[in-house]
Amino acid sequence: MTGDTHYDLEILAELAEGLLDVDTARRVREHLAVCDPCGELLADLAAVREVLAATPTPAMPMGVALRIDKALAAEAEFRRGGVGLVEAPDWDELMRDAPWERPVEVAAEAAPEPVRLGVVSDDGTIVPAKPSRRRRWAMPAIAAAAAVAVVGTAVASTGLLASGGGSSGVDVMAGGVTETSVVPSTPAKVPTMARSYGLTDSGHNYSDQDLRQPLEGMFGFQRMVGGGSDDDGKVDKCVKRVSSRSKLPAYAVDQGQYNGQEALVVASWKDKASQRLRIDIVDPFNCKNLRKPTLGRW
Amino acid sequence: MNSPPETPSAAERPAITDAELLTAHINGDPHAFSEIVKRHRDRMWAVALRTLGDPDEAADAVQDAFVSAYRKASTFRGEAAVTTWLHRIVVNACLDRMRRKSVRPVADDELIEAAERETPLPDQTVEREVSMEVSAALKLLPTDQRAALVLVDMMGYSVEDAAQVLQVPSGTVKSRCARGRAKLAPILSHLRNRSDLNRVSSAKGAELRDG
Repeated sequence: MTGDTHYDLEILAELAEGLLDVDTARRVREHLAVCDPCGELLADLAAVREVLAATPTPAMPMGVALRIDKALAAEAEFRRGGVGLVEAPDWDELMRDAPWERPVEVAAEAAPEPVRLGVVSDDGTIVPAKPSRRRRWAMPAIAAAAAVAVVGTAVASTGLLASGGGSSGVDVMAGGVTETSVVPSTPAKVPTMARSYGLTDSGHNYSDQDLRQPLEGMFGFQRMVGGGSDDDGKVDKCVKRVSSRSKLPAYAVDQGQYNGQEALVVASWKDKASQRLRIDIVDPFNCKNLRKPTLGRW
Repeated sequence: MNSPPETPSAAERPAITDAELLTAHINGDPHAFSEIVKRHRDRMWAVALRTLGDPDEAADAVQDAFVSAYRKASTFRGEAAVTTWLHRIVVNACLDRMRRKSVRPVADDELIEAAERETPLPDQTVEREVSMEVSAALKLLPTDQRAALVLVDMMGYSVEDAAQVLQVPSGTVKSRCARGRAKLAPILSHLRNRSDLNRVSSAKGAELRDG
């Protein structure tokens, strides 16, 4: 009630909704019969309902509908038990804000559970994998490097699931420990002689354009190099410098050029879950940045 | 899951109910759920868009909701209608989103900015103008009142249906609506006598509700 004589909107709204007790409702009605301003307010309330009802409710935009179809297709793929490498759903993206998933569980959900080593063929069936050259080549640099270099650490998995597979319809599926094993150990835990990153020597002349492409295509398939030569020592020195600047462990390093200049391309995980890398490009002699560190994808 | 528009299940068996579709989905029918989505997505979109007041947020919420429904289909209990169940999931996804965003009062200048971003199309100016004002006004309400008003006043659901969706007693829905309308009245009162609103049909909500 406002003042002694008028009723406020809330009381009037409750009257309209039949929420007032009998006595109060009677008093308000008696007042309404003689009070124009309160009658106006009641009409305003009725207008709210009308305005709300008259507000057009648009159909779902095509883009949203397609997006939902896609999410559900990924869900169906998951339900069928296939991992769907041919059109791997971007789980992190799909589940990003899902209210029922907390960040920690996202990782668990994202990793395709108990995966047997096998090959998903075109029709989604799984056939036993035969170790092949191709698989070897498809291994991302670090998995191979880790297997070779990290002494006494059981690392056997590939990062294929994370890296999205190759170009043919058949892809190798391996897993279980994918998430943890691909991440290089922190330097402290690695024996002094071992490298915690994959090192390649593509000789590729990188441009800014290249850096915006998924890096795996650039040096994920290069042959691993290394073996403790003099060059490797220099590279390692620079990588360590980069790591101490970026506070991130290097994941993969390629020796090549940047805009025609000899360069080391150092990729470090910024955010593994979303496949974001920090890319540092430094000259191999003084380890100075040749360009601003940038963000890229694997 | 993007099944062709005229799937056998849609064309030859038009009388199949939502509940039957859901059962088929649980039993592994790969097309059943997309049929449910097709039937209800516009309504779910409308609810989410009006509740959240933001198309991007609404798209995320509806997607979350449908994926959630897809997974949780087996937890559906037959007592409620499938639509009620779906609405509940959508509304909860929206409320969850609003809670997680820092809830803060929207300043007037933000409302104006938001209004300016939505450039009215020349031929639908009036409708859009109203729609925009309503969106902005709804955002000023507490989430529970907003959700109640969207279901009852905008979508035309009965108080009882809304109560089922929101999982609160009917009396609570009524009082949320009452308080929400009381807050909106001063903001929207200038729209009261506009001729373009006189063609208001409460049938619109019913039509939406019943498909």
